[in-house]
Amino acid sequence: MPIHDQGYRRYGGTRAAVGRAWQVIAGAGIRSIIGKRAFIALMLFAWAPFLVRAVQIYVSANFQQAAFLAPKGETFREFLGQQGVFVFFVTIWIGAGLVANDRRANALQLYLSKPLTAAEYIAGKMAILFLFLAFVTWAPAMGLLLVQAIFAGSFAFIRNNAYLLPAITLFSLAQVLLASSTMLALSSLSKSSRFVGIMYAGLMFFTAALFQALRGITGSSSFAWLSPGDALEQLGDVIFRLEPRYDLSPAIAALAVVVLIVGSGVILARRVKGVEIVT
Amino acid sequence: MSIGFWGASRRVFDLSLGEMLWSRRTIFMALVVGGPVVLALIVRALDMFGMSALRVNGRAVGGIGIFGVMIWMLFLRFIVPVLAVFYGTALMADEVEDKTLTYLFTRPIPRGAVLVGKYLAYVACTMLVVLPAVMLVYFLVVPFREVPGTFTSLVTDLGLLGLGLAVYGAVFAFVGAFFKRPLVLGLVFTFGWEPTVMVLPGYLKQFTIAYYLQALVPHAMPSEGITSLLQGFFRETPPMAASLAWLGTFAIVFLWLATRAVERREYVLEQ
Repeated sequence: MPIHDQGYRRYGGTRAAVGRAWQVIAGAGIRSIIGKRAFIALMLFAWAPFLVRAVQIYVSANFQQAAFLAPKGETFREFLGQQGVFVFFVTIWIGAGLVANDRRANALQLYLSKPLTAAEYIAGKMAILFLFLAFVTWAPAMGLLLVQAIFAGSFAFIRNNAYLLPAITLFSLAQVLLASSTMLALSSLSKSSRFVGIMYAGLMFFTAALFQALRGITGSSSFAWLSPGDALEQLGDVIFRLEPRYDLSPAIAALAVVVLIVGSGVILARRVKGVEIVT
Repeated sequence: MSIGFWGASRRVFDLSLGEMLWSRRTIFMALVVGGPVVLALIVRALDMFGMSALRVNGRAVGGIGIFGVMIWMLFLRFIVPVLAVFYGTALMADEVEDKTLTYLFTRPIPRGAVLVGKYLAYVACTMLVVLPAVMLVYFLVVPFREVPGTFTSLVTDLGLLGLGLAVYGAVFAFVGAFFKRPLVLGLVFTFGWEPTVMVLPGYLKQFTIAYYLQALVPHAMPSEGITSLLQGFFRETPPMAASLAWLGTFAIVFLWLATRAVERREYVLEQ
């Protein structure tokens, strides 16, 4: 049919129920990221520590001389701590442009003029980051538990350390939520993804450096709440039933993390709007 | 009428310095260097009320000790590399993102002069913000009676921070001009490669800038945390002349490579 013959036609497709449009945003984002080879390489690299730990578990389960390598609850805490570096780089790689690029292309108004609420838009964008971050934290940690059971040929370790299942889930959730909400909030503040990336690095490393400087000056680690990363580490120790590493109440550490997540939510609610008043 | 390489660089420098100084990025930079100043103000306030902040084995430690900790922890390990990543990788990438590179490249000047001019503007801009902040921190933290005996260490600190900004800036100018994802690579180098290699024994640390830069620091390295302890354990200090020579070589080589990359690369602006 020639194009000039086409007049108004009713939309013939189906309309997603309210509250499900975030899946469209998330699906499109995930597909575009999976298509990048360099990112796949980063994800594979992020699983390298899993392989090392799996070999460690295998050796400890099969050779008496290497029994000292046998995993403990602490092993899983250390593993998740080590994954922090990958959480940082994956967050910057994926998250920096999530909202910033839409703001740069003035696409936010376009998105929100569709049957899509701001909350759905934010949920969709966060789901992208959440999925990939869970893939480098929760998934390999749970995989290690499974590998332990397979190599040991029994569920005794898991039964004796049943707290590990909720501990891994809770700490991974805290890691992923903190990184994704902070990054998304920063991404909504600028139109340049590079600026967002550096702001995130600044937030994480500058606060850590500030805490270390204060620690060096005062000799006390009670200022760990200043650094989101260190507050999270303190929280992680408590979740895994280990001796906390800093002189900081776990409640304050949890509060610091919650304040950052809630603050990020407030920023997102204010910044992701369908109209922009240009002054 | 065409002008020479250095004349062109000077023109780009004039243009870029104003843009860099009066931009929103300067606010970010001011916030970053404002942190140590606020910290110094707190230390000063504590000192005024007779509560010395730094204590080792129960004894109060002098202001120069606190200043040394701040130089190590905040300026050398964080502020200098981060500002270099931020500005260095953006020298060309900003023009590409804003689609204004065409206006610069269609001028009758060598392409490399654009980068060199912008690089010099970055060095001037960051030094204009960072070095006064260091001086402010010094005068807030170090008591007046200690100034005559410690002033040379302040001058050394200012010199090495300036050198650090110049060398890191040259490296990241090359990264920004050559690679597609300069920021991620810059952050991997700064917060991945350098800290990891610095705590390892062997020769790998010679492929960092921090190794040579830290050799010039007149203050003792703080030993807080396992990383600092390991670094202290495996620390080798190259001679000052060798450090200066290597840092100078890095700056020149990377700036030359960056210039070459800009001269040869075909930048495709997204439509």
